[in-house]
Amino acid sequence: MRAIAAIARKDLRLLFRDKGDVFFTFVFPVIMAVLFSFVFGGGGGGGGMIDLAVVRESDSTLARGLADDLAKDPSFTTTSFETREAAADAVRAGKATAAVILPKSLDAGLEGLFSGQGIAIDVVVDPSRRAEAGLIQGKLNELTFRQFPKLFSNGTEMKRAYSAARDSIANTRGLSPTQKLLGAGMITAAESFSSSIGGEPTADTGAASASDGAFFAPIAVKVEELAPRAGRPRAAFDVTFPQGIVWGLAGCFGAFAASLVTERSRGTLDRLRLAPITAFHLITGKALACLVTGLFVQALVFTVAIVFFGARIAQPAMLVVAAFAAAFAFAGLAMALAAFCRTEAEANGAGRGAILILALIGGGTVPLFFMPPFLRTLSYGSPFRWAVAAIEGPFWRDTPLSEQVVPLVVLIAIGFLGWIVGARALWRPFAR
Amino acid sequence: MLALRDIRRRFGHTIAVDGLTLEVRAGEVFGLLGPNGAGKSTTIAIATGLLLPDSGSVDLLGMGSPSDPKVRMHLGLAPQEITLYAELTARENLRFFADLYGVADARARVDELLALVELDARAHDRVSTFSGGMKRRLNLAAALVHDPRLVLLDEPTAGVDPQSRNRILELVRRLAGEGKTVVYTTHYMEEAAKICDRVGVVDHGRLLDVGTVAELVARHGGQSAVTVERDGVEQRILTADPVAEVARQFTFVDGGADGGTGPVTGVRIERPDLETVFLALTGRSLRE
Repeated sequence: MRAIAAIARKDLRLLFRDKGDVFFTFVFPVIMAVLFSFVFGGGGGGGGMIDLAVVRESDSTLARGLADDLAKDPSFTTTSFETREAAADAVRAGKATAAVILPKSLDAGLEGLFSGQGIAIDVVVDPSRRAEAGLIQGKLNELTFRQFPKLFSNGTEMKRAYSAARDSIANTRGLSPTQKLLGAGMITAAESFSSSIGGEPTADTGAASASDGAFFAPIAVKVEELAPRAGRPRAAFDVTFPQGIVWGLAGCFGAFAASLVTERSRGTLDRLRLAPITAFHLITGKALACLVTGLFVQALVFTVAIVFFGARIAQPAMLVVAAFAAAFAFAGLAMALAAFCRTEAEANGAGRGAILILALIGGGTVPLFFMPPFLRTLSYGSPFRWAVAAIEGPFWRDTPLSEQVVPLVVLIAIGFLGWIVGARALWRPFAR
Repeated sequence: MLALRDIRRRFGHTIAVDGLTLEVRAGEVFGLLGPNGAGKSTTIAIATGLLLPDSGSVDLLGMGSPSDPKVRMHLGLAPQEITLYAELTARENLRFFADLYGVADARARVDELLALVELDARAHDRVSTFSGGMKRRLNLAAALVHDPRLVLLDEPTAGVDPQSRNRILELVRRLAGEGKTVVYTTHYMEEAAKICDRVGVVDHGRLLDVGTVAELVARHGGQSAVTVERDGVEQRILTADPVAEVARQFTFVDGGADGGTGPVTGVRIERPDLETVFLALTGRSLRE
């Protein structure tokens, strides 16, 4: 134990005496988090397809048409869910930007179309994605308008809507007989018009309808934000600080890997190997220093997030677990990287290059939801993705424990694997 | 103390050590003398267990191979490279190695070693600020931190100034005086002649001969040369007894056909040394 502590203490001293390592481990991640929060300020938005979780509770023509058009729309990638809870979970887990629920009451909304009630559609959004929520709302208006020609040509549906409108006019108090007569006349005219049309509208006419018809609000989108945390609204900082953390972990992972390679290339490692210690002592001591640094980096970034940006932690205990798992994974990676790199040039060049690529595809720079689908699939191979997922869950997503298990297990597995690979490579000469 | 038996080690097509057999006795300073690339450092690496031989065996203290950490505990190595942490202070470096070896009362031991290598005044300075000689001394101190019975010093004076070299040589003699066994590799024959009880001459991975300097010279050095000068003419005479030959030269005035005439105006004696031995054993100079 004394040897492990000595190795860890020595490595920490060396880290803190290297200005470059201190910058990339502790300062750079905070700068990254803050800068990116301004870049993505307002919660993102912009290019890329929006992931929608769609729940079709109604089997009406309108519901089917809307669901189909959402799926066909180039702005969206849709996934169908059976229940609104499952869809909300997908949003919470970051698998979808928002959930669109086409409720059973959709038809009732249709019946009230001409009496000012509007068609009710529920949207559940990730609180950090408000900008996309506005876009989704507009798109839903447009796509709903597109359904009208189909509805007008559907005699049964429209008959019910017109009949409900007539009843509403007849039963509305405060209307004079003249006004009621005028209203009924308009309904009759509309009924006559709808029976005379058919066919699909073009996208342009649909869009025009959406803007022209906004005054009578054909749909009523109810936007619900997921599980708001105590007191504070979600912001871009929520997304960028976990990214900053993984950059900090990457910095410390690069620093420790390079230090290990340096020890090997300069012969210091041979001196360590001559001591009456095992590969376990050596690698554990080094990994311990990396782990402690990783935890320190995370504590620092979270402190900045809380103190200067008013961030709130949804699940503090789970965040500690996630921070430990992330630091452990990157400590293991540092040992593995050191095993593969024979020279300092390799560690500083190829090693840091690999970190950069893994960070890019893992959402370390650009959030995953901005990436095209194939990159998002690739991201599963990056430890950065799992680290971000593990940290975001308890930090601000407030995801249930069952959904946090997978990233945690993956991170711990990465840590162990790296640890084993590193230990075997470092001790190889004695085994030859 | 240390026995290497028929050690062979090859790196690709290069044979670094070729059937080397060697026994180092307890308490002696044993010199491995050979030019750069002779296989000295590879032999040291094998002797410490850092490198396994392709064939042959190593036995340390009769306890077996140094690959075993318990056996390794009894040896200390000061490698040819400065294997210290440049950004740690002298004290932090020694303390780290002391902790690694589980040295009891590490603080006192570190103080003792800093005094031994005359670096106590620079104890709190980073190694990166040290001169080459100071780094060498600290490198040696790090090998002694756990008070090993066998100390292996691989070219400990490489690249240091004469003053630091003398300090290191003095230190080695002190270690021997304390009863430690020292294996000392060098390509400086003066050093080997000065501090080693026995010397092994190595070239191309083979041990060519082992013995005291006197034994090696007697076996391979040949005769001494006495150069006598008369009237500006030099005469070189090979002899087993140069002192007697000089005395004899002063007894007559005529040097004969090759030596000129008149009284002796100059005399120079060249005794065979390790350089002569190396030349005789390998056919080339140690400095080539």
